[in-house]
Amino acid sequence: MLPVFRGLLWGLIGFAIGALLTALVRIALGMEPWVFGPLFFVGYLFGLAGWLLGVGVWDTWMREFLGMEPRPYKEEGWRRYFGFNTDHKVIGIQYGVTFIGMFLLAGLLAMAMRIELMRPGRDIFDFATYNRVMSMHGFLMVLVAVTAVPGMFGNYFVPLMIGADDMAFPRMNALSYWIWPPAAILLLLSPFFGGWDSGWTAYPPLAITNEPGQMFYNLAFFTGGLSSVVGSVNFLTTIITMRAPGMTWGRVPIFVWSIFMTSIMSLTATQFVGVAMIMTVLDRVAQTAFFDPARGGYPLIYQHVFWFYSHPAVYVMIMPSWGIMLEILAHFARKPLFAYRWAVAGMAGVTALSFTVWAHHMFTSGMPETLHVPFMATTEAISVPTGLIFLAALGTLWRGKLRFKTPMLFALGMLFNFLIGGLTGVFNSDLPADMHLHDTFWVVSHFHYTILGGGIFGLIAGIYYWFPKMTGRMYNEALGRLHFWLMFIFFNLTFFPMAWLGLHGMNRRIGDYPPDLAGMNMFVSMAAFILGASFLIFVYNLVVSWIRGPVAEANPWGARTLEWATPSPPPEHNFPRVPEVLSGPYDYGVPGAVHAKV
Amino acid sequence: MRRDVVVVAVIWIVLSVLGVLFAASWDIYPPRAGVEAEHIDEAIRILMMLAAPVFMFVVVMMVYSIWRFRAEDEREEGPPIYTNRPFTVSWLVLTTVLAGVLFYNPGYVGWKFLKSNPTADLVIQVTAAQWHWHVTYPQYDLTIKSRPIGFERMDENQVLALPAGRRVKFEVTSDDVIHSFWIPALRLKVDAVPGIVTTMYTTVTETGSYEENSVFRVQCAELCGTGHPRMTMPVVILEPEEFEKWIEEQKEMQEMGGMMEEEEEGH
Ligand SMILES: [Cu+2]
Ligand SMILES: [Cu+2]
Repeated sequence: MLPVFRGLLWGLIGFAIGALLTALVRIALGMEPWVFGPLFFVGYLFGLAGWLLGVGVWDTWMREFLGMEPRPYKEEGWRRYFGFNTDHKVIGIQYGVTFIGMFLLAGLLAMAMRIELMRPGRDIFDFATYNRVMSMHGFLMVLVAVTAVPGMFGNYFVPLMIGADDMAFPRMNALSYWIWPPAAILLLLSPFFGGWDSGWTAYPPLAITNEPGQMFYNLAFFTGGLSSVVGSVNFLTTIITMRAPGMTWGRVPIFVWSIFMTSIMSLTATQFVGVAMIMTVLDRVAQTAFFDPARGGYPLIYQHVFWFYSHPAVYVMIMPSWGIMLEILAHFARKPLFAYRWAVAGMAGVTALSFTVWAHHMFTSGMPETLHVPFMATTEAISVPTGLIFLAALGTLWRGKLRFKTPMLFALGMLFNFLIGGLTGVFNSDLPADMHLHDTFWVVSHFHYTILGGGIFGLIAGIYYWFPKMTGRMYNEALGRLHFWLMFIFFNLTFFPMAWLGLHGMNRRIGDYPPDLAGMNMFVSMAAFILGASFLIFVYNLVVSWIRGPVAEANPWGARTLEWATPSPPPEHNFPRVPEVLSGPYDYGVPGAVHAKV
Repeated sequence: MRRDVVVVAVIWIVLSVLGVLFAASWDIYPPRAGVEAEHIDEAIRILMMLAAPVFMFVVVMMVYSIWRFRAEDEREEGPPIYTNRPFTVSWLVLTTVLAGVLFYNPGYVGWKFLKSNPTADLVIQVTAAQWHWHVTYPQYDLTIKSRPIGFERMDENQVLALPAGRRVKFEVTSDDVIHSFWIPALRLKVDAVPGIVTTMYTTVTETGSYEENSVFRVQCAELCGTGHPRMTMPVVILEPEEFEKWIEEQKEMQEMGGMMEEEEEGH
């Protein structure tokens, strides 16, 4: 039996055990036993344990713990993707396919939203459905933005780029991926239990009094958080301990640095959102009243705890894409990465400051007024280390020998989009301006510029850049360029007018708007449809090229980092022997420079 | 090389000056009706003026490099420049100074102004509940209530009236979930949070109404469930005498409505 099916079966058994135990406890306490909330909550935790045991934890850790021979998952061909495989390259592909699928699904939901918003009034959804579609779109996209780049490229390329044969904890790496399916199942089932209508932020009290589908979101977020924590421990350990001889900290590729800094944020902040999720569920199922003012609770506590994770999380979404962008700019400008140390310092500075800015999401929330000015100060201070990323990017381009292949186009597009994303964010950090702009389409414009225009453009740049390495085949360059131009132009035409809409009084998360905003909304919808259609070209290009694209060489870009010094795709243990690193990865223009002996 | 620097500097300075002038004169703002609103639009304008040179610098550097530094053949490599101390140090200094400037003004100065005068001669109490607004004018002993009927039937909804020329304090709270009380024409919003009272002060300046522009409305700005987009009501800003008249009319209508209800109950 494929481990996925055994995991499902054990998961269901676990769920039944947990739910029954809860019912028994409730009977013993003299309470009504068959209440959905508590039974589902405890059932899910048992079910999660059952799933993980079934899918691989039993065969590896548990058998070993009980003194039996562990049974690692060894399959070839397509089957290797459907079990507890510990090869970091297989895990990278698992993450990639799963999260690109999720991205496309969430993109379809965005198309549905733009159909509804094309004209004022109700078109295809009632407001209840619109709120659920919007919430699902937002949350799926957040999961994609947080996970896709570290999951796919972090796993695949961090070991390769530092000259290691795998991650430090291969089994934990497999675990980090196989934690995800229960979260996906929860989200798919949520609509059958009323869905949830509180957006990806799910502020209580709404998130406690609405439909039980809300709990599916809470538990999915909690589950995904577990995966982030497990994954980031693994990245940190790998980067600290598994670097090849000679791979000093000053020679580590910038993408590896970006994953390192990102992992520090994921490892230390994710627990907070986990706590926020569990507190919300407990308020619903166990009447803990953490957030209920009538019984001594305080609703704003949730926002503090939630954003204490979720602001660092926006840097988790963007920082790995900075890494990809700088990597591509250096290799396609064929010039050393400019001010490498400053770029690393910029990432470190953003990482440190990211923990100090959370309440800028709460300027209109009614929090104490002594907090406003300090949080404006920290938020505006973070623009300084962020600026160092632009310094490195522009300095690298200057006097380079630029080659405009698709990955380079996306990296340049990302630089432009993220510039607008950064500048529009300054308006939200400014206290007076934010009184008006907070919770409007201005914010929708701003964060799509940073996360879609920055983070996802970086993801796509990375997909084109590393496609030949991961699949052993070359994508179609003409289609890649067409995808870029359509996506870049219509991305900007979609999201720039949204800033205008916000300024003119269109609030976010709204299935209807005043009739005088109709013209601009129609324009935005039209642009959004073409933006959506550009992904058809992308998917077509990826699928067809993966099946029958021309065979790729080991190093089609002439890039110097270590992943290009091994065949495409790399063999199981990456390198024939441990590489010996001799100099930095960006010594373009230095006669006779060799990054590593392989 | 030196020529490239000069050309980029000249293009950047020209475009920055144009950009700043454009940002300063661009009247992109919808109608506004308060002193605070004027300061908030001014903050947005100053930020656009500060953003213009930054935007232009990155774009000019990028576009110039794309145009000027193309590879002629595939294997060509650029010069091994690893860093440039004057450039990096001045970059760091300039971005820090810029962050400091915009923190001070419009940030700190603007915020100090918004918080400078916590007095008002008209108090309006607002209680949000899924999905309507209860608006009380305690000095006039009048309470009105919006209905969640959305934009199509905005003309049938209860109107919230404000007097031009007076300073108003809104005291906002909620009966159930978190909402947000936003009047775009005033450029101000504050969340309605159950268990606490939040406040918002503004000096109303201009008259105006929803028929003129939809920024004259109350809009719930915090997702609060199914009726969220319909949690809106028209705002009308009247001359002070008109406002007094409006209050009297409302009271009369409510009395008549109350009598009708009593009659209905009698049947
Ligand atoms: Cu934030
Ligand atoms: Cu609302």
